[in-house]
Amino acid sequence: MAATKKTNTELVFNGILLENPIFRLALSMCPAVGLTTSIKNGLLLGSAVLFVQIFSSCTIAAIKNYIHPRIRIPTYTLTIATWVTVIDLVLAAYVPGAYKEMGIFVKLIVAFAIITMRLEAFACKNSVSASFWDGIGMGIGFLFGMVSIGFVRELLGAGTILGYDVLGFKPLLFFILPAAGFFCVGIMMAFFNYIEVVFNRRKERKQ
Amino acid sequence: MRALMKRFIFWPGWILGAVLLLFAGCNTEHAFVKKIAFKDSRSIMIEFAGELDADWAVDPAHYKAYEKRDPDVLLAIDKIMLSPDKKSVTVHFAEEINQKEPHIVGLAPIRSQGQDLGPALLSVKRLYIGELFSILIGAMLINNFVFTKYLGLCVFFGTSKKKNTAVGMGITFTLVMVASAMMSWFLYQFILKPFRLDFLQVVIFIGMVSLAVQAVDTVLRKVNPALFKAFGVYLVLVIANCIILAVPLTLASNEYSAWESLMLALGAGTGFLLALFLMSSARERLELADIPQTYRGLPIAFVTAGLFALAFMGFSGLAIF
Amino acid sequence: MKEITRITIGLTLSCFFAALIMGAVFVVTDKPKKQNEHQHVQETMLGLLGYGSQKPAPQELKFYPVYRYIIEEKGTTYLGYMVPVKSADRETYELLMLTLEGSLVQRFPLKISPEHAVAVSERQNALKEVLPAPKTFAYQDQTVIARLGDKRVAYLLPGEFTGFKTFIRVMLALDPQFEIIGLEIMEHEEDPGLGAEIKQNYFKNQFKNKSFDRLKSLTVVKDPLPDDYRRYLDAADTINAGELETIRNQYRDKDIYALTGATISSRAVTNGTKNMVKRFAYRIKILDEVIAGKQIPALI
Repeated sequence: MAATKKTNTELVFNGILLENPIFRLALSMCPAVGLTTSIKNGLLLGSAVLFVQIFSSCTIAAIKNYIHPRIRIPTYTLTIATWVTVIDLVLAAYVPGAYKEMGIFVKLIVAFAIITMRLEAFACKNSVSASFWDGIGMGIGFLFGMVSIGFVRELLGAGTILGYDVLGFKPLLFFILPAAGFFCVGIMMAFFNYIEVVFNRRKERKQ
Repeated sequence: MRALMKRFIFWPGWILGAVLLLFAGCNTEHAFVKKIAFKDSRSIMIEFAGELDADWAVDPAHYKAYEKRDPDVLLAIDKIMLSPDKKSVTVHFAEEINQKEPHIVGLAPIRSQGQDLGPALLSVKRLYIGELFSILIGAMLINNFVFTKYLGLCVFFGTSKKKNTAVGMGITFTLVMVASAMMSWFLYQFILKPFRLDFLQVVIFIGMVSLAVQAVDTVLRKVNPALFKAFGVYLVLVIANCIILAVPLTLASNEYSAWESLMLALGAGTGFLLALFLMSSARERLELADIPQTYRGLPIAFVTAGLFALAFMGFSGLAIF
Repeated sequence: MKEITRITIGLTLSCFFAALIMGAVFVVTDKPKKQNEHQHVQETMLGLLGYGSQKPAPQELKFYPVYRYIIEEKGTTYLGYMVPVKSADRETYELLMLTLEGSLVQRFPLKISPEHAVAVSERQNALKEVLPAPKTFAYQDQTVIARLGDKRVAYLLPGEFTGFKTFIRVMLALDPQFEIIGLEIMEHEEDPGLGAEIKQNYFKNQFKNKSFDRLKSLTVVKDPLPDDYRRYLDAADTINAGELETIRNQYRDKDIYALTGATISSRAVTNGTKNMVKRFAYRIKILDEVIAGKQIPALI
């Protein structure tokens, strides 16, 4: 894939809607299913991934000419692992309450396919600034996905939003259970598919 | 001569070691005591090789019992019952004992048929093999990595379209899982922990996984090319699997021993295989069903996975040992 | 061949560089991490005793930690208590070595101040001086004794036990008669929405005011939590004084109401708390006897 010709804002929107990592590219579904039991969790992990994505993309874009093609993947993994460890330590030191809730998932960011795939597909072929905006787009898309699933699950499962009791009762406790994560993601994916179908239909009608 | 020695010591030595390890629960350190074990939630039973003096046997002052980790907290003994054949006693405690913890029972000099046989310090715990088995079942069913811990989903949904693919992926994954888990355990115990390099966990474990994938790749290529042709392509996918990193991280934070790590890795691998098999069977049927267009492909797969996850929730709370 | 050497060198260099970055961040963040921990613990302890930003703790309130060790020498096991003592107008520590049955074997004055005793490594060094090889010692746990002037007002027990998933760390506050003043859940890895509800007031406040005798036979019942009890647990300040008294007396001796869908977590916390208190009561009695008997100038 050659270097992209999109403008920076287009890159950002690309990441949020057209190539949303969770709903369209179907990458990194583990946290989408597992950690979206409340908006706060989704927000925290989404921000961490945003951070790692931006920094890794920029780092790889900066050193892309020095990476030997045969050790591409280990290099990506090394970069991601370093940034993940950095954010792991920083979170533990400065935001201990939130860090305790995210537990093992922060360390697992390394294995999130989204970051590696993005580095492989984009960062190693584009400039630092383009990678930066793409990283932001992907990160925000991921964050948006996490928060929206978290919103649905928290509201329907616990009746709260960000901890504030909105409904006063728990409609369906089921939504907080892990199984519901699967349901939510599946239904929202179908919803995004539907939006695409409608969008295409409108485009066809215009032509 | 050396070759003969090797053959004699090597095989039986390992088997004997394994057997001794597995039956550690029944270990007794006194020649006269045959067996000691937990009887129920409030008593421990001790079997002797011969008859005991009745008045010595039923006196609680001759018995001392405590949990191994709290040797100063002596458990209150209610009464001692002697069996009719005078060869075994049941020690009843005033409160329930926690069978999950190893306990120590100390006996004042045992008196049998007028003779003084010396004191004894006996340890009681549940069978180690029971604990190992419960870790295995835990990782496989109760805390199934896909349905309960929602890890490894990308690869899961990618390879569960057909049964052959699914089973192939599952088996490859189990192999790599066991190999990398053992290597990671080794590194953690002997390098990371003593040198306080815990923060390098992530990097080291991922490195181990890459090495393991490479190793399995090379070995498989040479040993069984046919097998390699069938499974080789999945090896690359293994590295993108969250589970492969989660297992070493778990065994590091729980400080598992070598056997326990092996059980965890096996359980994780077979659990993944089970999940893949079930999912692929369902998806093959779904291909033939009439599904609304927006749901085709991944969305309906997710909903199916959700139903499986609900079913697996039924395993929570399962405790065999 | 040259290719492979280039690759290896490149990879090694990058690994080295990455390790340097991570090491640097680790060193920088280690101190704030430990400070955060310490502050969190202090705030929790004050919170359990009823003090906080609204009601600051009085000057005379002092915390005295007692550290428990197990000492091994030539196959015999001893118990070691690091007790704060007053010596020549200074506060310092003494190690009391006891047999398992509770009789004093030896007293060792330690060269360590209360501020330094909080750090594990400092305690280790001070103990190594008085317990040279072949003696070995291992840290077990600590208790914090809260005193208002000369009187003991509370015992604060940090503890850890197995939960449904992995572990649960708690901080328990007991009054001098071992009645529970309060329970705080410090750390856990339970399921959010299910086991994680142990952190909610309507679960952990059920342990308040349970007397020592009641605690010994405390179990978990799977009945639904009554509405008035729920109101009392969540927000006692919204109920008037008379009703407060009635509700408290009504539910004082009841068992713990389990969390919906988290019976195992509820049981884990109940049994864990029970064990902690029973063991502590057993041990503090022995320790107090030793201190009184040998007239040790202990600050507890």
